[in-house]
Amino acid sequence: MNRKRGITTRSLLCILILLALSLPPGARAGTADSPAAAPSPLLAAMKTELDRSTAVLGKLDPPAYYIGYTVTETQRAEVSGSNGALLSSTESKSRWLEVAVRAGSYELDNTRKVGERQASSAGPGGPVPLDNDAEVLRRAIWLETDRQYRAAEQALIKIKTGKEVKVETAEGQAPDFSREKPSTYIGAPAELSVNRQPWEQKVRDYTRYFRDSAAIINSIVTFSALGQTQYQVNSEGTELQFGQIRYRLELFIQGKAADGMDINRYYNFDWVNPADAPDEKAVRAVSVTLRKEMEGLVAAPLVEPTAGPAMLTGRAAAVFFHEVFGHRAEGHRQKDIAEGQTFARKVGEQIFPDFLSITDDPTLRKLGKTDLLGYYPYDDEGVRAERVPLVVHGVLKRFEMSRSPLVGFPNSNGHGRRQIGYASVSRQGNLIVSSSRMVTNAQLRQKLIELAKTQGKPFGLLIDDIEGGFTFTGRGQPQAFQVQPLVVYKVYTDGRPDELVRGVDIVGTPLVSLTKIVATGDTPEVFNGYCGAESGSVPVAAASPAILISELEVQKKETSTDKPPILPHPAHDPVKDPAKKGGL
Amino acid sequence: MNRRMKWAAVLLAGAGLFGAGTLAAQSKAPGEDNDQTLRAMRDEMARSKARLELKIEGQGQPVKPFFVQYRLLDMEVKQVVAEFGALVSSTTSRNRFMDVEARVGDYKLDSSNFVGDEGFRGFLGSSGGVGIDRDYDSLRQDLWIATDQAFKEAVETYSRKQAYLSSLARQPDTDDFSREPAYSSISPRLEADWSSRNWEEEARQSSAALRAYPDLQDSRVAYYFVYVTEYLLTSEGTEIRKSRSLAAIEAGIETLATDGMPLHHFYASYAARPAGLPSAAAVRQGLNVAASEIVALRSAPPAQDYTGPVLFEARAAAPLVAQVLGPALNGSRPPISFQPVFEQMLSGLGGRSEWAGRVGARVLPKSVTLADDPGATNFQGQALLGGYSVDEEGVRGQKLTLVEDGVLRALLMSRRPGPDSDHSNGRGRAGFLNDARPTMSNLFFTSSEALSPAEMRKQFLDKCREEKLAYCLVVREMDNPAVSLLRQDEFSELLASFGGGAGTGDRLPLVVYRVYPETGREEMVRGARIIGLNTRALRNVAAMGNDLFVYNHMQSQVPGFAGTALGAFGSAQSGLPAAVVAPSLLFDELEVRGARGDPKRMPLVPAPPLTAAR
Repeated sequence: MNRKRGITTRSLLCILILLALSLPPGARAGTADSPAAAPSPLLAAMKTELDRSTAVLGKLDPPAYYIGYTVTETQRAEVSGSNGALLSSTESKSRWLEVAVRAGSYELDNTRKVGERQASSAGPGGPVPLDNDAEVLRRAIWLETDRQYRAAEQALIKIKTGKEVKVETAEGQAPDFSREKPSTYIGAPAELSVNRQPWEQKVRDYTRYFRDSAAIINSIVTFSALGQTQYQVNSEGTELQFGQIRYRLELFIQGKAADGMDINRYYNFDWVNPADAPDEKAVRAVSVTLRKEMEGLVAAPLVEPTAGPAMLTGRAAAVFFHEVFGHRAEGHRQKDIAEGQTFARKVGEQIFPDFLSITDDPTLRKLGKTDLLGYYPYDDEGVRAERVPLVVHGVLKRFEMSRSPLVGFPNSNGHGRRQIGYASVSRQGNLIVSSSRMVTNAQLRQKLIELAKTQGKPFGLLIDDIEGGFTFTGRGQPQAFQVQPLVVYKVYTDGRPDELVRGVDIVGTPLVSLTKIVATGDTPEVFNGYCGAESGSVPVAAASPAILISELEVQKKETSTDKPPILPHPAHDPVKDPAKKGGL
Repeated sequence: MNRRMKWAAVLLAGAGLFGAGTLAAQSKAPGEDNDQTLRAMRDEMARSKARLELKIEGQGQPVKPFFVQYRLLDMEVKQVVAEFGALVSSTTSRNRFMDVEARVGDYKLDSSNFVGDEGFRGFLGSSGGVGIDRDYDSLRQDLWIATDQAFKEAVETYSRKQAYLSSLARQPDTDDFSREPAYSSISPRLEADWSSRNWEEEARQSSAALRAYPDLQDSRVAYYFVYVTEYLLTSEGTEIRKSRSLAAIEAGIETLATDGMPLHHFYASYAARPAGLPSAAAVRQGLNVAASEIVALRSAPPAQDYTGPVLFEARAAAPLVAQVLGPALNGSRPPISFQPVFEQMLSGLGGRSEWAGRVGARVLPKSVTLADDPGATNFQGQALLGGYSVDEEGVRGQKLTLVEDGVLRALLMSRRPGPDSDHSNGRGRAGFLNDARPTMSNLFFTSSEALSPAEMRKQFLDKCREEKLAYCLVVREMDNPAVSLLRQDEFSELLASFGGGAGTGDRLPLVVYRVYPETGREEMVRGARIIGLNTRALRNVAAMGNDLFVYNHMQSQVPGFAGTALGAFGSAQSGLPAAVVAPSLLFDELEVRGARGDPKRMPLVPAPPLTAAR
């Protein structure tokens, strides 16, 4: 059965949205800085089974040279409202087991990609009991380990007997798995306690507000609280226990322009401390903006294909960097022939203007007052998260690395991430863009107008919000990116007021567009979002000041063929008697 | 008295009268309980009827729907899962879902019954979740968008269907939609109540029984409860509100035989209400039987290829009847398909009715009567699960004699006509807003020449001796893959090994014994598969018992697979409650294939301990 309309398809995209909140200042943290906690009995049971498995499977031919167990306890409360009514209010708790078995050796194991085939080191896993019953948990681990060893062994045989002749590239000579020092850390488990009742009323009220607008045909507001505790052990000696709690409020409205184009507006609040929940005033302010933008957009003219200067506000720029640069700096992509390998041979080269530096720092809990969604103490391969300077003064230095090494980059820097049920690959955490050529945002806007004048254009574009981006990095696809700006203004050179336009798509070649950044603003803005890629959906953040691009090419967005609803919104129907006209 | 208590009282009264989870129509005036859901549905329906129309370029008259249907489910679900005495999950959820259908054209030829090549149509669909507050305003808004979407889809499908039909030499001679009188029935809403027992603790206690079997590898015991109020409104004037509930315990267990062949078994129990479920002690007993059998199967010899008499004891015969007759009883025409591949697939998977178009022909032994009775609530004191008063298309279902003296008299009909009938007989059933399809309710398979179990066995053994066979086969229990298989990959493996046999009558018995006629000795075998057991085989049953067995189960709603051993049954979450009452059946000659497939390697690490006491 369908979920509430609109949600499922959107989750396929990498949704990266700005967050601007007033939150108390936070601290940088190298590890989860919770007080020392007692290890859960789960860890002991996992360890017992790990020792038993390693003793037998580690001595076979091929040996299981690495075995890793992860149990993730997830507590989730979710309250959703739509069009003035409560849609659902649920709470759930589950524990999920994942088993990773690698057969062969660090140099060559069952995960080696041969042709188009790549076996994963882990299966999707399965649920295990919430009750702390060591025997039942061990039984589940035992069965899953056997399955995964069997799969690994078979995959390795196929790899070793593979007849496909591959041109060995330098990148392909890297080992399959990096050697890392074991991590041990016992933190407090996440204990989620949420009173859903007040939120049930809030989501009703928040969505009822949108009924006042005839332009809004559907609205969904969702509050969610997610508590996750990870228990990890592996045959190298890693033993981890740590929990994280995150809260989120999402506002989503849908409308349709007269020509049938779907218009969506979306906003999310993310917070870590329950006291930092957005108050009525903050939510109302956002709601008013979303509604105004919707009403403006459904009536706005379509953009004509054009090329010219463009300014991206900080939140839009952050999405831009996440998509265009961040994904391409993921280490495993440099290894893969089928991927674009955009940056594989560019380490040490100038790829950006020299006033730009980019760091990925998952150890950062906050930027200014804003919680960062990409914070984590250890990654999903049990490696401690590291701050990674990716680009220094425009020069490419490093990549986001999982335990899949590259020639010249033999180690993980704690960016091996995945959604439960997926195999980890290198992913972004908190992508932070900084600049040494800063002007105020007002000056940047002035520069935009000047640039347009110089180029003989009647206007420049101001991109204020980008909802979803999707980056194709595979080699089979064109090296172009598409991010979808939702709120775009024409800024005229002759002093006319800014004009909202609709249906804007950015086109272009990523490396080229990145080199055309000429200046930045002085205030970093943060977006928090969930980013989907081959290892599933993971929480990330990106931060950037506003940027000015000397030339950006835009095209008209594909439009839906469905016309707006035939009958008026029932709450805005001038005809009161339903049976007044005609009949079946 | 709060509302829940009030409805509980109504429910108790209703349960005694009508049973099987269905509350029949009460003489309560619609809207008397101020149901805002009904009001919103009525008002949006009236607006759509009066004003919904689309002007199409080049066409003079605007297009209007000739039929609009609103369905809404107001449901509460509780699910508790445990394994080996430990709780895996416990969830409750309350949701409401709507589905809007619009038809353009006319009853003879409309926008339905066409499998086209439709693509993605945007985020707003004709079905989806709606608010659970039972308020008026939000539902109006949701119905408005869904109606708009359904109507536009119908207009598009209708034009595509017309274009496709114009390319065919032969036009369909069966109407698309039957005309039926409007029917109104507003029953009291049934409110969820599962507080009478501690289900989490019962799930722990019952599943803990399996700790006594360390040879088992995996197990899962799931308790599932649903309370649902269904609304149906049509532009023809039908208005229905009815409630039903279902409670289920479904358990699957798995292990490997000593030679590595995968084995599974199951336990299932269904009731109309939570209180009707067996106690934890009774479930433990059932699980003990299943576990003992699977342990015996581990070391039982693999079945060999065999041709000869097979006796289905009643416990196995009833599910067999459900599998074989499920698709045969469907009298509605199949949809016109844009792609012939789809049609072939349907036939290949046994989704085509072998009885359609054969009314008046002998289809079963002369002594057999087959009746379907949604009004029956129990049989010889045992509750029947398949009852209802009105189907999901708003047509009342009454007792129907399908086969009389072996001759086919009628088929199960929804509002989709077929070669044998232009009208529905109230069998358009659907769970959870699926498309309504002709589906059995309580099916009675009885014979006027029934033998006692002793006579059946004697005839079986006589036949066996006559054939000079060393042994003959008795089937005690049929498999139910929807319940017994715990993992998707296991299901896929079974599907792969099942190959193309699904449509030609492959059946999966679970508990099979060899009986040696000289000594009467019985010996369990594993991995048998019966082939070619279709409606023709049932026509030639050699003998039938008087030991009628009540088989309460979930009939699959998946089209196409419905008649196969893999897809005949659903789980409590996905199927439609149904019952088959049937006796033991003796076949003079069936073909049985021995165990096939690849054995798995036994686990490399010995099993960790599992202590029985908890």
